[in-house]
Amino acid sequence: MTMTHAAGAGAPPSTGGAGYRIGGAIVALVLLVLLAVQVFEIFDDDARTIPEYRWGTPPISNVQSGLSGVGTDELLRERATLQGPREVFGPSPENQRTYQVGSETQMISEEIETPSALQTLAWSDPSRETLPMVRGTDRVEGISSLPYVGAEVYERPFARDWRLGMADFATHLGALAILGFAFLLAAFLAIRGRVPISSGKSGRKVERFGFIERATHWMTSGSFVMLALTGIVIAYGDTLILPFGDYVLGQTGWLATWGHMMFFPPFALGILTMFILWIRDALPSKLDLQWLKQGGGLFRDDVHPSARRFNAGQKLIFWSVILGGGILVLSGITLMFPFFWLDINGMGWVMLTHAIVAVLMIAVILGHIYIGSVGMQGAFWAMWTGDVDRNMAAEHHDLWLEEIDRKRGPAE
Amino acid sequence: MARVKFLCDTDRCIECNACATSCKNEHEVPWGMVRRRVVTINDGSPGEKSIAISCMHCTDAPCVAVCPTDTLYQTDIGVVLHNKDNCIGCGYCFYACPFGAPQFPRATLFGTRGIMDKCTYCAGGPEENGSEAEFRKYGRNRIAEGKLPICAEVCSTRALLAGDGEVIGEIYRERVLARGFGSGAWGWETAYYPEEA
Repeated sequence: MTMTHAAGAGAPPSTGGAGYRIGGAIVALVLLVLLAVQVFEIFDDDARTIPEYRWGTPPISNVQSGLSGVGTDELLRERATLQGPREVFGPSPENQRTYQVGSETQMISEEIETPSALQTLAWSDPSRETLPMVRGTDRVEGISSLPYVGAEVYERPFARDWRLGMADFATHLGALAILGFAFLLAAFLAIRGRVPISSGKSGRKVERFGFIERATHWMTSGSFVMLALTGIVIAYGDTLILPFGDYVLGQTGWLATWGHMMFFPPFALGILTMFILWIRDALPSKLDLQWLKQGGGLFRDDVHPSARRFNAGQKLIFWSVILGGGILVLSGITLMFPFFWLDINGMGWVMLTHAIVAVLMIAVILGHIYIGSVGMQGAFWAMWTGDVDRNMAAEHHDLWLEEIDRKRGPAE
Repeated sequence: MARVKFLCDTDRCIECNACATSCKNEHEVPWGMVRRRVVTINDGSPGEKSIAISCMHCTDAPCVAVCPTDTLYQTDIGVVLHNKDNCIGCGYCFYACPFGAPQFPRATLFGTRGIMDKCTYCAGGPEENGSEAEFRKYGRNRIAEGKLPICAEVCSTRALLAGDGEVIGEIYRERVLARGFGSGAWGWETAYYPEEA
């Protein structure tokens, strides 16, 4: 299978066109399966916290093996009864024990082999006598003599909503956004193939990005990738790393926490520098509407909407990085200094914002990485060596190329 | 199977802070952290109430659900425990806790949280029950010794009750019937019956 070229382009087929499309199709299929699993996860109703350990009394004879839950039950009930008035609850039950109390340690615990939600469901269901004596859900705040943040808040029902926001909304939204967008990109590669330089390579170069620009780009992108990976460990470690064991998850989590902190300064510096470097070229203009209307020429080889230095797609990436990255940096700094200027509810909202913006940013940047590497012929070298082929510049940034040529005379 | 709970009777709590003090002493809780505290509502006005609060060991515990490193886990008697070796100090459990139970020491210059500590219902942690390592990390394991949390057992007015939910619920009901007033078990809906809320 060769790539379909625009009539009359006459250029030799770009390298490995079919390979890219087959690769795209395979990746798309894998992502489709992952997406299906993720959608199932949303609706499979296993988001409840369920008991993972059980208590019991140690075996008392050779006949009995394993833990016995009966002893635990009786011990706990008997001891609790001691708190009630004697005239109602009778004498101390110590002398009427039906089980053996031997060593100092009377109960031990072990992991439950197949935890189930049954117990949690039973616990959530109040008996008819219990419900009338239960006080409703309310935010309750008083005073406390303790000098700790939030010590005066007795009850804060918002916390339960925060749990839904974090464990359900942000987590699932992120997985859907990242997997879904990656699927669209892979499917696009499979159907459309690589965006070629449709008039072929001219062999003549023009400088597109200077050293400072490239250095800033790679500093920011390197730290973003590390921030994303460490963030994914924290957000999805339960799914991705827990199968390797508790210990591995704990250690990776610890590395991720510190890594997340370490890679933040170069990221913040990069965002600021890019803003200063590129804001002039990234301001919106009328040309952008035209570009967007033609889909950026992404879908046809013979369509090349006019653009200056940055086209509308690049401007969109620029602004999502500046705004998204800015929000991430500001919320991240806030989270590094707990309660410096926000109370517990405020911190909760900042944490949610950070998580949701972060997963969306990962999805957006996936698109950027795609179009800057496999998605478009020659695009990668613009940011790596700084030079692009003149024909590529002419197709995607015609007005910019004319301007450059006017200023310097045609490139050698 | 027993399901242990805490119940604080606001009509009996006299804000003596014995629960908080004995807890700190029993578990040698480090400086800057408290596993149990007393909150006073409407201080100095008619209707003033005090209430002791710690981890309530919730049903469908939100802290366990949000923990990114599987630090927190629940046992079959309802107690929520934590594994200090896994904790990364992210603070998610604190945002998700309706009762402000998780505590963090300030670990570094950047205000980073240290490893979380919280009420264990006097039930230790994942280390061997009654071991030295368990005491160092989680405090005393009274449950393994067949006792209930020190805060409740030390309460002089029997305001704070601990133990099987059915038993302490019955004690509270008998008490409310006998005295003829009462304002309901505080925090129970949020902690134990979240689906009723």
